[in-house]
Amino acid sequence: METKIKSACETCAHFNAEGLKKLGIHTDDFDFVVALAGNPNTGKSTVFNALTGLRQHTGNWPGKTVTRAEGGFEYNTQKFKLVDLPGTYSLLSTSEDEEAARDFILFGKPNVTVIVADANRLERNLNLVLQILEITDKAVLCLNLMDEAKRNHISIDERTLARDLGIPVVPTSARFNKGIPELIQTISDIANGTIVCKPHRIKSVPDNIDRAVKKLTTEIEKEFPGIPNSRWIAFRLLEGDTQIINALKSGELV
Amino acid sequence: MTTYNPISALILFFVIAVLLFVLFRPIKGWFWILKKNFGSNEKTIIEDILKQLYHFENSGNKVDMKTLVQVLGFNHTRVVDAIKKMTINDLIYFESDILKLTDTGREYALRIVRVHRLWERYLADKTGFSRSEWHDRAESMEHVLTHDEAEQLSVRLGNPKFDPHGDPIPTKTGKVAQVNGVELPLLPVNSIGRITHIEDEPEVIYKQIIAEKIHIGSLVRVVENNATRIVFLSEGEEFKLAPIVAANLTVAPIENEVVVEDNIARLSSLDEHETAKIIGISKESRGESRRRLLDLGFVKGANISIDLMNPLGEPHAYLIKGTSIALRKDQAAKILIKRD
Amino acid sequence: MNKKNIDSIIELSNELRWQIGDDFHDNLTESIYADASEIVKDTVQSDTSNKRFRLDAKIDKIVTSKAFGFPIMFLVLGVVLWITIVGANYPSSLLANVLLDTIHPALKNGAASINMPWWLSGFLIDGVYLAVAWVVAVMLPPMAIFFPMFTLLEDFGYLPRVAFNLDALFKKSGAHGKQALTMSMGFGCNAAGVVATRIIDSPRERLIAIITNNFSLCNGRWPTQILIATIFIGAIVPESLSSVASLLAVIGIAVLGMAFMFTVSWALSKTVLKGEVSTFNLELPPYRPPRFWKTIYTSLIDRTLIVLWRAVVFAAPAGAVIWLISNIYIGNETIAAWAIDSMDGFGFLLGLNGVILLAYIVAIPANEIVIPTILMLTVLVTGTSGGAGAGVMFELDSMNATGDLLRAGGWTLLTAINLMLFSLLHNPCSTTIYTIYKETKSLKWTVFASIMPVILGFVVTFLVAQIWRLIF
Repeated sequence: METKIKSACETCAHFNAEGLKKLGIHTDDFDFVVALAGNPNTGKSTVFNALTGLRQHTGNWPGKTVTRAEGGFEYNTQKFKLVDLPGTYSLLSTSEDEEAARDFILFGKPNVTVIVADANRLERNLNLVLQILEITDKAVLCLNLMDEAKRNHISIDERTLARDLGIPVVPTSARFNKGIPELIQTISDIANGTIVCKPHRIKSVPDNIDRAVKKLTTEIEKEFPGIPNSRWIAFRLLEGDTQIINALKSGELV
Repeated sequence: MTTYNPISALILFFVIAVLLFVLFRPIKGWFWILKKNFGSNEKTIIEDILKQLYHFENSGNKVDMKTLVQVLGFNHTRVVDAIKKMTINDLIYFESDILKLTDTGREYALRIVRVHRLWERYLADKTGFSRSEWHDRAESMEHVLTHDEAEQLSVRLGNPKFDPHGDPIPTKTGKVAQVNGVELPLLPVNSIGRITHIEDEPEVIYKQIIAEKIHIGSLVRVVENNATRIVFLSEGEEFKLAPIVAANLTVAPIENEVVVEDNIARLSSLDEHETAKIIGISKESRGESRRRLLDLGFVKGANISIDLMNPLGEPHAYLIKGTSIALRKDQAAKILIKRD
Repeated sequence: MNKKNIDSIIELSNELRWQIGDDFHDNLTESIYADASEIVKDTVQSDTSNKRFRLDAKIDKIVTSKAFGFPIMFLVLGVVLWITIVGANYPSSLLANVLLDTIHPALKNGAASINMPWWLSGFLIDGVYLAVAWVVAVMLPPMAIFFPMFTLLEDFGYLPRVAFNLDALFKKSGAHGKQALTMSMGFGCNAAGVVATRIIDSPRERLIAIITNNFSLCNGRWPTQILIATIFIGAIVPESLSSVASLLAVIGIAVLGMAFMFTVSWALSKTVLKGEVSTFNLELPPYRPPRFWKTIYTSLIDRTLIVLWRAVVFAAPAGAVIWLISNIYIGNETIAAWAIDSMDGFGFLLGLNGVILLAYIVAIPANEIVIPTILMLTVLVTGTSGGAGAGVMFELDSMNATGDLLRAGGWTLLTAINLMLFSLLHNPCSTTIYTIYKETKSLKWTVFASIMPVILGFVVTFLVAQIWRLIF
């Protein structure tokens, strides 16, 4: 690893955490890749900026980040490359944004996926969270906009939520840099394998679909032993997703 | 420049404009008509003949030269020429006056039917064309797509088995699935069925069905069935059809108990300060727009109310799962609700 | 990995897909939401379970009400435009002073003192430098004011409400309510407006918004409109009314642009674009107090400077071309003179002239340099005194002098009106064309979006010219 790279922004706020360094857009020789996913309008870009020290524009619009933004930070001498994915409601449809986000989580194989959710609208946000948890088992839920939630008298039992989802949950208010050090620590723990997730898998599936999915999953696992997201691949095959079919054929998925 | 004066310039301009309009206006422009006539070469005629024979055969009707020429609307001599060629190539044969498909002919016909129905599926799922346009567009596309292209299309669409009218799409090996179900008039009063097929010919009746907003896949419950009319409920609305029209709808009776909600209304009828639960999305909403609605949380069981009216009357913003989402009136009409 | 096994898996999935029926997607989404509700039931407590938060709701009631919705909207837009136009004046003239009146002569002197050959200093300083300087001086101040204000409104969350209020109007022409915003953005800069269409997530409506954005009069064209209106329209009314008349003329052109936008949107959605998928939805996000300085910073970096950089990149070669065509001779005439001669006939038919057409061709990269180019070329062809030399763009400090020069070039009221129309209805600048290509990734739509407005411009100016000549 290179000796101390000069940070792209030395003026930005520092955290208490020892050994943290924001790398801005200088992300050569990274040790881990971190994907940042989430619904539109959850302050995802604010989290991105808080982590990297960059100042990407964060509009109060759904679907703002269309092009993929990248940045990085260094924590305890390990370098993390952060990729901000387009904000989407779901990964099941085929819009350009969703495909970009889906492809990165699936094919880019990030070491950690940070899912940013709006604490005020958790139910709606969980739609995407649960889908991502079908694809990857290395994820952390960043429960953002806690300040707004507090103002709106919403309280969330983070421990139960973490237990139900099977992944760590970190409450943050990225606008005020609250919770960001904890988020970084958790990202690092997952990347280094200190935290092992047992993600929630979608339960309330109707019987006929469940049977079909099980049949397919068995076949897929026979062919690709140890694949973490066989069930999700089965979902996509049942949907007739050409991209997944091609990826399966070319062996890109493993 | 010597001959210039504004009037002649204007006249010249309008002459050119009118000429361009006559040549290139959509569908009826001379250019398109010429292109179509010129383009409907022998291959098109042969393929159309095969397809017609296939359909006649399937419906158990016999066909002779005269009816064929009538149905096709091509020039008589061209049809005769084509038929001559087809007999030589062993695609069809005569049994006294009646035209029949050979096995090779039937195989060929099935390929054409496959492309036609695949293309309709494509138009329905992946484009914004309205359903009254699907058939005509597929009619011209079926002569254009090659076998391989049809194959790719099929994969891209998830190898569909039925076209958007509910007709089976022949597989690449020529197998045809069965449409299950019975004609609507045969469904007993008060039993429930799912619409599996809407016949798109004759066009007059099909247009009437389209106008009635009846959709493949939706559930129906017959409430009255007699010689003069059939009355049934579907997606919260009551339909009254003459038996001859209703016979163009195929429904599969549903055996296991499904709860069909009564008092279904459409979201567009919701008033300010009312609350409701979503029952589902009408089958009228297809493809990408349906998925989008689902992704946004318009799913069965969700609570919904009006968040904001609009100064221009439309769209309204609805409060769903904690977020305010605006939908236009025609979209809201596709969401089925039950008032609390 | 065994190809045969994979094929059989895919075969199996095809089989199963049709067994479970076409409700799969519905069912899957429903089950995910069902799980979500269950989890939320266990973990979230709120005393306002289904009510949207009070302050938000109150603001929304006002900004979307029948009584206040539209007045507030017009007020906000008016204030933004007013601040932009008034506020940009001072820095613009300052920049022009520094870049055009101070640095340019200084560079020329410097070049002379080191004995740089005349053609090199002409090419570099009069051509490339001057075009870039001009674009920066005219373009930077209004954009640096307009975009941050727009971005503040965006960050606060007000803009989605504007889209919500206006959607019914846009729906009638087959477009999306959010087009109101990309259109307003186009008043600042069409390239930025085209980028902004990303907020429209329905393919058909987004293409419509991209193609019609050019009908928003961008800030490179406002100065042209104002100058010509002041000189020619202001002159036909009594002195006391002249500023009002010219202002109305400019507003009239902008409104005409909107009318074209609606009509063309409607026509597109009914013809070439009717096969594109259309899915409307519009989320009204919660209001959030924008962080002022951060927003200013990001909008300057993200929007203003990026757009400005692109414009500069395109303007530099344009400056070179302008200088070259007016300094390279074929026979006794410069290339510019030849071109003007050969286009004069066509220009006359359109009620314009060869100079204007040539200026629009070489100024494709940036509308800002149209007027300076026209003035330079007019001097070149009329042979009148004034100007700064062949290929050196200039503007005159006095409106009267500019008017006199143009009249000497054969301009009439018709030329002025048609120039204003043509400035509205011509191809987008090359920055915008490039942006359209990047956003649509389609050569077909890029070509269409570039050619269609010029043809409209030819037709409209032609008709106006003929009718004008019939009447007067």
